[in-house]
Amino acid sequence: MNRSIQNLLSITLVLLLSCGPVFAQRRGGGSARTSVNHPSQGNINRNNNVNSNRNVNANINRNVNVNVHHDVDVHHSYYGGGCCYHPVATAAAVMATAAVIGSIVYSLPPACSVVVMNGLTYQHCGSTWYQPQFVGTSTTYVVVAAP
Amino acid sequence: MYKRLFCSIAILTFCLSLTAQSAPSPNKGDIDPSAVAALNKMGTYLRTLGTFQVRSVQTTDDVLDNGQTIQAGGVIDVLAVRPNRLRAEIIGDDKHQILFYDGKNFTIFGQLVNYYATVPAPPTIAALINKLDEKYGIEMPLVDLFLWASPDQPDSAKDITGAIDVGPSSVEGTSCEQYAFRQAGLDWQIWIQLGDYPLPRKLILTTTDDDARPRHTQVMMWNLAPSFNDAAFTFDPPDGAQKIAIAEVNASAGDQKEPKTGSSK
Repeated sequence: MNRSIQNLLSITLVLLLSCGPVFAQRRGGGSARTSVNHPSQGNINRNNNVNSNRNVNANINRNVNVNVHHDVDVHHSYYGGGCCYHPVATAAAVMATAAVIGSIVYSLPPACSVVVMNGLTYQHCGSTWYQPQFVGTSTTYVVVAAP
Repeated sequence: MYKRLFCSIAILTFCLSLTAQSAPSPNKGDIDPSAVAALNKMGTYLRTLGTFQVRSVQTTDDVLDNGQTIQAGGVIDVLAVRPNRLRAEIIGDDKHQILFYDGKNFTIFGQLVNYYATVPAPPTIAALINKLDEKYGIEMPLVDLFLWASPDQPDSAKDITGAIDVGPSSVEGTSCEQYAFRQAGLDWQIWIQLGDYPLPRKLILTTTDDDARPRHTQVMMWNLAPSFNDAAFTFDPPDGAQKIAIAEVNASAGDQKEPKTGSSK
C-alpha cells in the first residue's frame, strides 16, 4: 500500500518534471446550471452532470496524468459553456508515457490517420489507437487496443 | 396520568417548534403570487405553440478548480415542430454541432470533426428529452422551453422558494416584465414579453450551491412562423462523415465500447 502510494508519487513526479511546471487550472470545478427545470419530473437533479464530470476527470487524472496546460483552451460543451462535460486533457499526454487503454482525451496529437475497421472509426496516431465518441455533445477520444 | 400526557405533549410541541424554526421553510411572504402567475401564464402559452424557432445567444461560466469563473459564449438555434420533429444547431467557440430528430432517429453531427452518431429515438420530443438526459447525459438545448410547456409540469413554480416581480424592463428593444426567483441551489431571473405573446426573452441562472456562483445567460429571439421543409430534421451524412458512438451515462468512462471485434488481427 505504502509502496503503491510511493509509486504513484514518483510517477506523478516524473510526469510533472517531464511536463514542466505548467500548472494552469483545470475546469474541473463545475459550471453554471443551464436550465431551471429538469426532465425527470421537473426535479432538479444534477446527478448526471456531476457524475459525468467526476468520471471523466477522474479517469483522465488517473490515466493520462494531468498535463494541464492544455486545459485552459478547453473545448466547451454544447451550450458554448461547459454544462456537462469538461475536457481536461489532450492526447499530448502521451509525451510522458504511452497512453493507457481506456483513457479519454479531448483532442488528438498531430498526424493521425483515419482507419475504418468493421464499421468503426478509429484514429491511428503513432502507435496509439483512438476511438472517437460523443460524450454528451462533446467529441472525445478513447484510447483502445489496436483493432 | 393526565399530567404525564400533558408533559409529553408539551415536549412534543416544543420539539416541533424547534424543527419548524431550524428548517428554512419558504416564507409565504417571499413569494409574490403575481410572479408565479406570470410564470404559469408563460408556460400555458408555450404549450399552445406547435411550431417555433428560437435563436438564443448565451453565455455559461465554467468554474476552475481554484474557484475562478471563465465565461464561454455560444449561439443555439432550435427549430421545433411538435410533437415529433426538432433540429438544433449549436455554435460555440470551437464547435459547430447539429442535432436532428425526425420522430424516428436522433442524430448528433459534429460539423468541425465530421463525426456523427445516430440512435433510435422515441416518438415525441418530450420522450426524447428524457431519453437523452437519462441515457446519454445530453441536456436538450433550451430544454426549459419544452419543460415549461409540458403538461406534466402544470405548475412551473412548485420548486420555487422566492418570487419577485422586479418590474418593467426591455430586452432587445422589446418591453418585458422582469421576475426573479429562488429555488434550492439556484437563483434565476426571467424577462417575459409583455402583450399577447408572453414569451421568455431572457434568462439568467446563478448557481448558488457553488461558491463561485457561476452564471448562465440566454437572450432569445423568437420566430413563431418559421419556414422549413422536412429535410431539415433528417440527417444526410456529408462526404467523409464518420459514424461514431455516443457514450452512455451508466457506462463507466473506462470501459467504453471496446470494439467487439473477435477479429483483432
